[in-house]
Amino acid sequence: MIHRHTNLTANIVAFCRYLRAHGFRIGPEEEATALRAAVLVTPNDRGTFALALQVSLTRSVQEVGQFTELFEKYWRELENALDSKIKEDESKKSNYQKNTQPSFDALKWWLHGNKNTQETETATYSATETLSRQDFSLIPADQLADLERLLREVSQSLARRVNRRREKTLHAREFDLRNTLRRNLRRGGELVEIAYKRPRRQRMRLVVLADVSKSMDLYSAFLIQFLYAFQRVFRRIETFVFSTDLHRVTADLKEQNFPQALQKLAARETGWSGGTRMGGSLDAFVTDYGRLLNRETIVVILSDGWDTDQPELLADSLRRIRQKSRKVIWLNPLAGQPGYEPRTAAMQAALPHVDVFASAHNVESMRALGKWL
Amino acid sequence: MNVPQIATLLQSQGYITEPAVTMAVYLSMQLQKPLLIEGPAGVGKTEIAKVMARALDTDLIRLQCYEGLDASHALYEWNYQRQLLHLKMVETQGSVNGQTDALEEEIFGEKFLMKRPLLQAITHHKAPVLLIDEVDRADEEFESFLLEVLSDWQITIPEIGTIRATHIPQVIVTGNRVRELSEALRRRCLYLWIDYPDYEKELAIVRGKVPGVSQKLAEQICRFMQQLRQLRLEKTPGIAETIDWATALAALHFDHLPKEIIEQTLGVILKDWKDTRTAQLSLSELYEKMGVVSKLDGV
Repeated sequence: MIHRHTNLTANIVAFCRYLRAHGFRIGPEEEATALRAAVLVTPNDRGTFALALQVSLTRSVQEVGQFTELFEKYWRELENALDSKIKEDESKKSNYQKNTQPSFDALKWWLHGNKNTQETETATYSATETLSRQDFSLIPADQLADLERLLREVSQSLARRVNRRREKTLHAREFDLRNTLRRNLRRGGELVEIAYKRPRRQRMRLVVLADVSKSMDLYSAFLIQFLYAFQRVFRRIETFVFSTDLHRVTADLKEQNFPQALQKLAARETGWSGGTRMGGSLDAFVTDYGRLLNRETIVVILSDGWDTDQPELLADSLRRIRQKSRKVIWLNPLAGQPGYEPRTAAMQAALPHVDVFASAHNVESMRALGKWL
Repeated sequence: MNVPQIATLLQSQGYITEPAVTMAVYLSMQLQKPLLIEGPAGVGKTEIAKVMARALDTDLIRLQCYEGLDASHALYEWNYQRQLLHLKMVETQGSVNGQTDALEEEIFGEKFLMKRPLLQAITHHKAPVLLIDEVDRADEEFESFLLEVLSDWQITIPEIGTIRATHIPQVIVTGNRVRELSEALRRRCLYLWIDYPDYEKELAIVRGKVPGVSQKLAEQICRFMQQLRQLRLEKTPGIAETIDWATALAALHFDHLPKEIIEQTLGVILKDWKDTRTAQLSLSELYEKMGVVSKLDGV
């Protein structure tokens, strides 16, 4: 709601509120900063004023982009408004719920280890099959909790595997008696140099690229669960989701509890359950985020290998990704089915550029992931 | 000091600024808040800190972040070897009976303390510019530790006690978006995003930084760079590359930019063979676009 305020302070506070309504995270501290900034620059032209507020209120390049527009809009409306009522923005309704049902089946299927392959629904490229099953109730909370716990367990054991060993270090952490004695033997036992040890640093970095397109719908819920659980235990992980476009969701998955993380994800326009442009998405990844990759990075791709882009583009991006990273692991949920062969054009193009191709259809197969990390 | 004065100050140090940068620097100084600068590599993020230090006539203390950087490297370390030697010398000179306390105080004194950038910054005799470079390369633990220092401006050393900042340093934090920075750090800072410069700004920078370059050559170089950045490259060249290239071409006494020369000197601006190939393949197109623009502009 925009009211016309007679003085600058009130206007700025109202503007902060307006930004907050548009998803900016602004607290009292930021408001105070903005007010002080405004007083300092004694705004006589709008440009200076906008800049001062922009520097104090934005926190990322995306916000900088939105800011200019919102600023213009707000102050323009303010001028027009003169206390007239302006409709509040329609509250954005989360559209996550409509997607949950088919995922629930996948969850159940996955949770119980998929013993009965004939009867269970499997992911297909055609949209109609999944669409027809979309208005069941929500996932029962107890099942979700089960799965979350199980996943956390698996990912923790994966993470622990990596850093139980100790390594030598120059920084004071833990005294290493054995090495200290050894090093100083040649000085006749006078302890001049002290050696330290510390838990072996987890050098490995994970980059997860998850396919959330329509054909992956059945697995999506499990996927996010898995990504979320993983994010909690691996310190060095970056997560992206893609369907037609690539989105970095690392920050969204950092939420303290899972429902909040879900909400944040749902609130973003990630093209959830859209078509697949894998080649383009991976190309965008390696171009824009290639810096994330180094020889200690393991790239995990979670996808069923259905792609509408040219296979050459996929192959080329994968080749570039692999060149920059230590290992590329492709987890395909379909690969767990008996008789599955990677026959799609995309899969065929991708295979030469993948180090490990494995299934990811149940908890057991996720456990097996440890072997590749 | 007001905004135009800051602009003049930055300009006088040879930094071609734009309103957003000036405003950010001004507010960061006035509000005594750290300034977080993000942007692609090679657009002059670090340069801002250097220029600020020069403009304010103070020292620049730089903390270069890297993976595995920890508190002891950023704060202080005891010079253990020196302490040990000192003890040995005291021992050989005679008995230390009855003065153990004094001796202990001595070896945990300033003399044996190796100050690292953060401690240096808060104990400096004059408020310095503290540059925390590429903070996203450091681990998350370090980031939280940094937050603590940046909010309290005091450091506790168990053997000595708490050291309070004599002057609050002017803090510039830069990031390359290797890792997403924590919300807490972002909220502590003012924010500035610097993108690749537009044509006019880049031209001004080249003219300022490379004295020997002719107007026409500079214009052509900048136009070419603007076009080149439109391509999808692995490593998009920044301002540093533009300046290198201009310097090289000026040293070779060119006063304009023929196509063959571009091809021959491409290695100065592109550091990846795939990029070089991409650029070579679309060189004619780039060159043409450059020409069209120059005809339009050259009225």
